[in-house]
Amino acid sequence: MQKSTSQKIKLGIFVILGTVLLVSALYFIGNRQNLFGKSIKLHAQFANVNGLQLGNNVRYSGINAGTVIGIEMTGQSQIVVSMLISEKIGGRIQKNAIATIGSDGLVGSMIVNIIPRKGEFPSVISGDTIATYSKIGADDMLTTLNVTNENAAILTSELLEITNKVLEGKGTVGMLINDSIMADDLKQSVFQLKQASTSASKAMAELNGIISSVNYEESVAGLLLSDTASAQKMRTVVDNLEQSSVNIEAMTRSLGTYISEIKEGKGTLNYLTQDEKFVKDLDSTLTNIKEATYRLNENMEALKHNFFFRGYFRKLERQNKKN
Amino acid sequence: MAASLQIFQKTKAFFIEIGDISFFALRFFKEVFTKPFEFKELMRQCYHMGNRSLLLVGVTGFILGLVFTLQSRPTLMEFGAESWMPSMVSISIVREIGPVIIALICAGRIGSGIGAELGSMRVTEQIDAMEVSGTNPFKYLVVTRIVATTLMLPLLIVFGDTIALIGSAIVENLKGAVSYQLYFNQVFDALKFSDILPATVKSFFFGFAIGLIGCYKGYHCKKGTVGVGEASNSAVVYTSMLLFVIDFIAVFVSDIFFEV
Repeated sequence: MQKSTSQKIKLGIFVILGTVLLVSALYFIGNRQNLFGKSIKLHAQFANVNGLQLGNNVRYSGINAGTVIGIEMTGQSQIVVSMLISEKIGGRIQKNAIATIGSDGLVGSMIVNIIPRKGEFPSVISGDTIATYSKIGADDMLTTLNVTNENAAILTSELLEITNKVLEGKGTVGMLINDSIMADDLKQSVFQLKQASTSASKAMAELNGIISSVNYEESVAGLLLSDTASAQKMRTVVDNLEQSSVNIEAMTRSLGTYISEIKEGKGTLNYLTQDEKFVKDLDSTLTNIKEATYRLNENMEALKHNFFFRGYFRKLERQNKKN
Repeated sequence: MAASLQIFQKTKAFFIEIGDISFFALRFFKEVFTKPFEFKELMRQCYHMGNRSLLLVGVTGFILGLVFTLQSRPTLMEFGAESWMPSMVSISIVREIGPVIIALICAGRIGSGIGAELGSMRVTEQIDAMEVSGTNPFKYLVVTRIVATTLMLPLLIVFGDTIALIGSAIVENLKGAVSYQLYFNQVFDALKFSDILPATVKSFFFGFAIGLIGCYKGYHCKKGTVGVGEASNSAVVYTSMLLFVIDFIAVFVSDIFFEV
């Protein structure tokens, strides 16, 4: 009898423990699917659900918020996905939130991501339909990747050709890489360019110094740059200068014509300037005049000492002394 | 000719046996709902089949989870999918491996025990004596045992699965530095009702099959003490085969209802 009671107790413990374990497992699984807590129902309409299944997770900002409880096709191509969201998180989802279908990891099962957006909107209520955004599917990605791969293959083959040519020293790049003389020249050019740029830099610095040292308030340059009246005068001067230059040009042109006429003509001036014999005669005449003048001076001096004229010259000397 | 005749005879014997088992099962369903109910004997059988098998199931489950995780780790690591270990192990154990392995263990221990016990009672004419004394041996011996196995096996499988997951969690904790909390969070994230409910329902059928075949083989034991060994042996063989057949059918049926 004692043994039977002990057996019953042990059996009771075993049965209760087993049942508790089973019920606990069911509770935890149900709790994950929001079956026991308060929840709200949301809908979202997609054109393609990319293999989404009933029971897949729904995440709001990365937090597990609920599960997919219904996938129904409406119309020709629209699919309505119904989600059971826990009330705790559902209260934080605004009406402007967007639902997208994504993958849980690279090879994970599909999930619905609800993404919050900026702005103040009221929270969703049970039965609401939120906006959706269809991401590019894996097939589309693979198709694009295929095109990219083909392009990459073409590019690679062309790049290989270019590389071969470069290695053979063909073309500008090949020459640059393989020609040592050109490399030296280029090096020298670069060095000179560096020097030129250094000089330019220095010049610029000096220019900056000059510009900064200009007294804009009191100097002529400052006056020209800042005083409008002076600027007007300057403009007038420039205009006058321009007019003068025009006149000078006209005068120069006239003078040129006149000179050419002189050169070509047979007048007195041309005779004076062009005839060499005349010049020699004139030179001879001037020599004769000079000689005549000298002799005249001698005659005049002799005249001063002449008996008849001596009295006159003494009289002139006395008058000069008196004055 | 002789060979084909032999095949025919064996096929005929097989179908006769299937028919006999079906009648035996039919009789069980007839007797199980009619009075008197042998609750005391049922409790005793539940204790013997449930509590006494707990250690065996526990050790088996622990090693199962441990080894399964250790063997799966390298493959998952190759794909960089170590984080999938809890999901994979839990779904595999709860949905399929746990129930089947534990049912096979119980078929070995309980099925053979029932076959041997009833077989020895048959050959020692204890069952005949019970019939003579006015006690219904079928109700007292068979119904209680089949009900006990049907009720106890699901509980044993729940225990076995739990211990297997604990074994797996220990390996993950030691090898992958995964905390127990994270491990069981991922386990319950991965598990769904469609995993646990069909497995639980299936385990009732496993228990029923173990009890039914064990009792049938023992109840119809012949040829003296040699027959006892034969009954015990064939109970285990038949039960093991039947378990896989039931499992096959259960997977198909659960696929229809749960779209696994």
